[in-house]
Amino acid sequence: MYKLLLCWRYLKTRYLAIACIISVMLGVATLIVVNSVMNGFSTKLKTLLHGVLSDIVLEGHGMEGFHDPLGKIRRIRKDAYLDAQIDSLAITIDAFAMAQFHNVVTNETATRPVRVMGIEMKSRSQVGGFKEHLDLQKNSAEPSFAIPKEIQDYFEAVEEQIRKDRERERQDAHLEAAFGLLQIPKAAPDNDIDKVMREFFHAKPAVEPAPRPMPVPHKVRVPQGAVVGHLIAHMKWKDPNNKEFVDLPTIRVGDRIDLTTVSTSHRLEPKYDSFVVVDYFKSGMSEYDANAVFVPLEHLQAMRGMDNRASNILIKLKDYNEADKVVQRLAEIFEHDRLGIFTWEQKQGPLLKAIEIEKSILNILLFMIIAVAGFGILAIFSMIVSEKTRDIGILKALGASSGGVMKIFLTYGLLLGVVGAFFGTILGLTITWNINGIEALIAMLTGSRVFDGSVYYFKEIPTDVQPMGVLIVNLGAIAIAVVFSILPALRAALLHPVQALRYE
Amino acid sequence: MHGTTPLLCALNLKKTYVKFANRIEVLRGIDLDVAEGEFLSVIGNSGSGKSTMLHLLGTLDKPDEGTIHLEGRRIDNLPAEQRDALRNRTFGLIFQFYHLLPELSTLENVLMPAMITHSVWSWWLNRRALKKQALEMLDRVGLSHRLNHKPRELSGGEMQRAAIARALINRPRVLLADEPTGNLDAANGQHVMKLLRDLNQHDGLTIVMVTHNLELVHDTDRVVRLFDGRVETPEMILPPTFATTP
Repeated sequence: MYKLLLCWRYLKTRYLAIACIISVMLGVATLIVVNSVMNGFSTKLKTLLHGVLSDIVLEGHGMEGFHDPLGKIRRIRKDAYLDAQIDSLAITIDAFAMAQFHNVVTNETATRPVRVMGIEMKSRSQVGGFKEHLDLQKNSAEPSFAIPKEIQDYFEAVEEQIRKDRERERQDAHLEAAFGLLQIPKAAPDNDIDKVMREFFHAKPAVEPAPRPMPVPHKVRVPQGAVVGHLIAHMKWKDPNNKEFVDLPTIRVGDRIDLTTVSTSHRLEPKYDSFVVVDYFKSGMSEYDANAVFVPLEHLQAMRGMDNRASNILIKLKDYNEADKVVQRLAEIFEHDRLGIFTWEQKQGPLLKAIEIEKSILNILLFMIIAVAGFGILAIFSMIVSEKTRDIGILKALGASSGGVMKIFLTYGLLLGVVGAFFGTILGLTITWNINGIEALIAMLTGSRVFDGSVYYFKEIPTDVQPMGVLIVNLGAIAIAVVFSILPALRAALLHPVQALRYE
Repeated sequence: MHGTTPLLCALNLKKTYVKFANRIEVLRGIDLDVAEGEFLSVIGNSGSGKSTMLHLLGTLDKPDEGTIHLEGRRIDNLPAEQRDALRNRTFGLIFQFYHLLPELSTLENVLMPAMITHSVWSWWLNRRALKKQALEMLDRVGLSHRLNHKPRELSGGEMQRAAIARALINRPRVLLADEPTGNLDAANGQHVMKLLRDLNQHDGLTIVMVTHNLELVHDTDRVVRLFDGRVETPEMILPPTFATTP
């Protein structure tokens, strides 16, 4: 009982203790804020990544992909366990390409490398991480690559005109072939028409020229639609009025975009085609938004000569917790196929690992702040023990044990840790929950933004307060406070009562 | 008043302090019996070893040689916990400089030995009875009007009376007083001595008082004098009009 009473009184009367409390409080608050922001970044990034990637992906090793994707899907579906676990599958082709388009802002032709992905819109939407990122067809029940009607009509009209022109050329060529090669004899003076006609049809040209090639009959063809990454189709522009960045479209919906990729035949050949932009893809992940162009799967297969071949099979699971088991089962089924089988986390392993390492290092560094607070506690406690030497002697004279005296100072350290951690948690959570407001206030006061949303993936500072993390920080801070009070407490406990009573 | 078996008995107590190359033999072989209910005063010059002897008797320190017995049971070699328990319940200690805890009120200071005795739970269960006991003690020493005052707000006499109340809260068998009036003026000193005498006579409390004020020993049953670490004169029962040995 006396330990609690004395701890409480020491806490109330020793202003030096406030320094310990403040140092623990600041350490805890800093750790909570930094961890929450790091968690926010990490969670948001994971959500974004998982939002774009399927749960599991089967991928071929080369540009030419793997053979018979539909057969592989059938094999997967035949397995009872996999069939029960898998929600949906989608076949995709993934290749590099050069995109060329007319930049309507700069009025110039722009060329840039892109990642062209052949997808079947329905199955890709079912796997997830696609439809919800479409700009225009986000809420559509069945998004498609269909180009707008007026644009289709325009292209059909143009194509029809081309077809007519070609037909006319073909007819002209035919007529020329029929008549142009013969030398029409001059009319006889006696106007013997029968003789002239007879000569015309039976005459042979003196020198037979090579026949002129006939124009290929034109088949009316409307370009395929393409979904273009938001950052390919837009550029940042700083509004001089409010200094805010806005997205200006460099390619509008309905504009043409030419893609040049390579064939998968034995000899590498360039393959190109024109597409019409039908939508934008905006996932928030610059890796995708700045590189991806989605086109119809079959068209890309035909374009690249990938008959019955694909690059990936994307799999959506009913329960992601089963992912490792599903990967293991898939590896067994496709043991002899040269396929890479990964969960989305394995695919993004280096990035996620980097974030985790960064977080761990930051935590170590920040715990050092609390360790500094711990040294403060050590110094201040040593002072308090010196100051309280006579009191320690009195307590021992009254029958307090050495263990009891030690517990007073350990409890004191614990109390400082608990109070510091408590106020640190309140401060940390308050800052975390209002971090964007605080950032705006600092920006207003200093005139420069601390967090520029245009630089990062997110508009606002993302935060994610994890109760377990807060608990660990609190326990860590309290443990440090107690550990650093052990030495002074031990010194107090070992004081000889007579010497302590005589201490001046 | 005096029992046949000594309540407290010291045999051949020796204590030497060593600091660097200096050896200071403070006690060179003390033999002392204190009967139950006796009011014994120990006198001697400064440095004669009075306080050291009192600390040894009160188990605050251990003798280098010799033994101390309480009711025939040796106590100087007990484990630390048992010695702590003796100081808490069997011995009451008062000091020249009162030694009250400055952060606590008078009442809390008086309750401190009881707090040390009881665990939190036990304290919670007995808190009313213990507080009542402390109030009675404070009333007896005339401090019932100073319950919530901090030591710095009390006079020297009041502080010493609070220290006496604190020493008595656990109803000890022996009160060991180290110069209890040494820091008080004559009036306050008399007041404290009257209180001690009263406790001895009415409550039968055994008191061993160390002092160098020869006037105070008039009120005690017996006087021993320490000189150069030894009891100079064997125990002497003081007559009603007594004379101290040189």
